Order: sequence, then structure tokens, then C-alpha cells
Amino acid sequence: MIRICNLAKYYETGAPALTNINLNVSKGEFVYITGPSGAGKSTLLRLLFCGTSPTRGQILVNGRNITRMSASQIPYLRRQLGVVFQDFKLIQTRTLMENVAFPLEVQGIRRQEVAKRVFRALQMVKLEKYLKKYPLEISGGEQQRVAIARALVTDPLVLLADEPTGNLDDQTTLEIMELFKSANARGTTVIMATHNLELIRRHPRRVVVLKGGKIVEDHDTPLSMTASAGQVERSLDS
Amino acid sequence: MMLAKMLYFFKGAWRNICQCPLLCLAAVGTVAVSLMMVAFFGVIFFNFAQLTSHWGQQVQLKIFLEKAPDDTLLAEWRRKIEACPEVESVNLVSSAEALERFRKRLGKKADLLEGLGADLLPASLEIGLKAPYRNRSGVAAVAETLRQHKEFSDIRHGGEWLNRFDSLVSLLKLAAVILGGFLLFATIFMIANTIKLTLYARRDELEIMTLVGGTSLFIKMPYIIEGAIQGLLGGLLAVGGAYLIFRTFLHDNLVTLLMTMGVGEVMFLPSGFQWGLVSAGMLLGVLGSLPPLRKFVRMRA
Repeated sequence: MIRICNLAKYYETGAPALTNINLNVSKGEFVYITGPSGAGKSTLLRLLFCGTSPTRGQILVNGRNITRMSASQIPYLRRQLGVVFQDFKLIQTRTLMENVAFPLEVQGIRRQEVAKRVFRALQMVKLEKYLKKYPLEISGGEQQRVAIARALVTDPLVLLADEPTGNLDDQTTLEIMELFKSANARGTTVIMATHNLELIRRHPRRVVVLKGGKIVEDHDTPLSMTASAGQVERSLDS
Repeated sequence: MMLAKMLYFFKGAWRNICQCPLLCLAAVGTVAVSLMMVAFFGVIFFNFAQLTSHWGQQVQLKIFLEKAPDDTLLAEWRRKIEACPEVESVNLVSSAEALERFRKRLGKKADLLEGLGADLLPASLEIGLKAPYRNRSGVAAVAETLRQHKEFSDIRHGGEWLNRFDSLVSLLKLAAVILGGFLLFATIFMIANTIKLTLYARRDELEIMTLVGGTSLFIKMPYIIEGAIQGLLGGLLAVGGAYLIFRTFLHDNLVTLLMTMGVGEVMFLPSGFQWGLVSAGMLLGVLGSLPPLRKFVRMRA
């Protein structure tokens, strides 16, 4: 599904954000990208949804080289991806329904169909009764669930999540993780950046560890709960 | 499909306006105030143009005659004079008519003319020129042509006065270009900046739309339409407001001023200029929103 070859990204100052990244993610996989702050987790995700351009290297998403994509083609790539951010990125002046409907409206889907799918998506995150509310009228955890509904409403091939539980309490984090796991169970590839090792310990999956812009560990197969988190912790400490 | 999309864009624009009424009001207000300044400049410009045009009508040639011609001769002279392409009208002023005009000019001292004969002043032909030739060179060209006919020996055309009139008209035109240009530039600058600020307040919203797969045009269209609506409303308010202020405060003062200069009527803006202002408002609303949209709707950072 995703193939990254010799990827590097340098800041305008010349400082490296990512160097020599090679990574393959198969269809239906659930991958954590972890590492300390400044390791390059968010930059890697930004590169995956074309939020920025790499300095060198290639990224293939579903067989298409996205590093050579023109600006006019990027929206069509993003319609195949769902993106969830730590700060939710909901449009404050629009209702929850309008926020979730937007990715469908840009695709020119008919109004009745949009209404049906938005309702289903909000039902999935258990917020269907808040259709007409505005983001600031609900809690942070609920806002993140709306963001997930928006990301999943188009049935994306890949779900990218950048520290989606960073601002949430344990109970809400658990609810959010259940949503990601159920999307993954339905066949969506999930790539989640997090520095929450407790989360990785509780929900063990493949873990890619970044440090100083490089991949220092890649536990390609899901390990046992303790082994996965323990090894990651050790590699982050070293 | 196209109609549905346009409807969606218009709904989006309307929703933007309803959701941020204060921002919208600021933009409409700026457009209205800026265009109202242009409107007042227009009122002054058009009335001065009317004044110079009125003065211009007095730019004419006079041929003084030794004696008044009979009808056949007058018809022949008319034909000769009207053969000049610059000439608009030929008018015979008899000696009696000339004396009557002189009497009126003298006003209270008209009794000085008591006892004098009706043929005191010579008869003359007043030659009016077409609008583009009401200047020094136009008058000189006609005079030159007429001098070729022996019977028109005494031609007068107030050269000194014409020089002053030409200078005044040139000065007014130059002032109009400089002031108008400055005002237009200031208006564009103010409107563009206000719309830029309204979009700056929504830059997060624009960024989010790009992240969830909106194409550049799909995201921009409602905001462009919003700019056009704001410009249209601002333009209509400017024309309406300018008319109200013109009728309430300006009209009577301008009438007094222009009457002393010989023009009896004061005009508001011609309808073409009014529509031009409203269209300019719309155009500025659209053009003003394009640069900030280009800045904030970017696919790659």
C-alpha cells in the first residue's frame, strides 16, 4: 500500500528532519510511528499526505509516486486518505454535520447520499445526536471523534493519525483507539504517530521507531505486549 | 450538475456571510465608503465638466458686417460658412438685436443709450463650433478658412480669452487624472486589504479544506462569490448613500455656486457612471479576494 524509498527531508535552514527513510506498509496493516519529540514523526506523516515535499526519495501510495504529483492532483490523493490531527482541525464555524460532510461534498456526491453517509459516520463515533452542534459546544474527546468520522466517511484506503490522543484523557484515548482498531478491522490501513508508549503497550501492533530523523527500530511483526513496548523504550533511552 | 455546483457555491458564500456578519459588514462598509469618495469626486468632476462645456459653448467666432444682408445673400453666406466641418451653427445678429444685448449688459446705466440710433452697432454673424473644435486651434482653423472669402473681412475670436480657457480646461483635466488616479489606487488598496483581513481570519478553515481533499477552485469559489456580493452591496450603498448626501447637503450649495458661473442645473452622476461604480465594487470584491486566497489555499506548505 505504501512504499517509501531513500526518503529525506531537510528544513530550509539545512537541518535534517528525516534522512534515509525506507519503509513498506502493507494493505490493512496498523503501524505506530513513535519516537521522541523532534524525531520526525509528524514530518513523515505530512510527507505522506503531500503536506510538504521531500528533499529526495520516493513515496508510492497505492502504486502512485506522490512525490511527483502536481498541486492540482494532490486533492485527489487526499480523498483516498483520511487524516486525523492532535488539534482535531475542525471548522469552528460549521456544524458537526457540515464538517463531516465536506470531504463528500468536494467529491460531488449527491445531497441525499451525503446526509446518509454523514449520519452513519457520526453514528459510528456515537455522536449522531449532535449533528447540528458546533465543535466548540462539545468536549475535546468528542471533537476528536468527529475528526475521525470526517476521516473515515469517505472509506479511505489509508488513515493517517498524528498524535490523535495527545490532548485526551485515558478513557477517551481508549475510545479513540477502539475506533481506529475497528476501521483497521474493516480493511483500512492505519498509520499512527504517537509518543505514548503506554498506548503501544496496551494495543500492540507493528512499531517503527524514529530518532533524529532516522528509523532506528522496526518491529515488523506484532510482538507480545511487553516485548514490543519494552524494546521500544530501550531504543528510545539508548 | 454545473447548476448544482453553482448553487452549492452560492449557498457556501451566503453561509460565510451569515456566519461572520461583522467581517462581512467591515468589508461592505469599506467598499461603500471608498466608492462613495469616488462618487463625490464624480459629482464634482461631472459638474465641472458641465461648466466647462457651458463655457465652451461661448467659444465662437464673430464676423462683423458693414450692412445686414438680404435673405438670398444670407443663405449664400450660410452655405459657405457651414461648408467648414468645424461649424455647428450660424446665427445672424441684426444691429437692433446687438443694441438690445448691449442695453441689457449695461443694466442700470442703459439710459446712456437713450437717443442713439438703432444702427449704432454693426450687424454680425455668430458662428458656433462643434464640441471638439471649441478651442484655440479650432477657432483659428475656421477663421483661416473664412478669411479666404473677401466678404468676411472683419473676423473676431477673442484669442486672449481662449488661451486662458484652454489652460483652465487642461488644468482641470490634469487635476481630474491625478486626483482620480490617486483615489482609485487608494480605493483598490483599502478594499483589497479589508478583504485580505477577512480571509486572514479564516485561514485555518481554508487550510482544513485543503487537507480533506478540496480542489483549489472548489475551496475558493464561495469566497470569491462572497467577495463579489460584498463588493456589489458596497457599490449599491455607495451610490445610494452618495445620492442621499448629494440631495440633502450638496445640491443647493452647488446650484448657488454654478448659477453664479452661468450654469443653472446641477447633475448627480450619469447612470452609466453609477452602474460603473457598482460593477467596480463587484470587480474589486473579486480581485481583492484572489491574492489572499492564493496565499492561504496552498496544497503544499
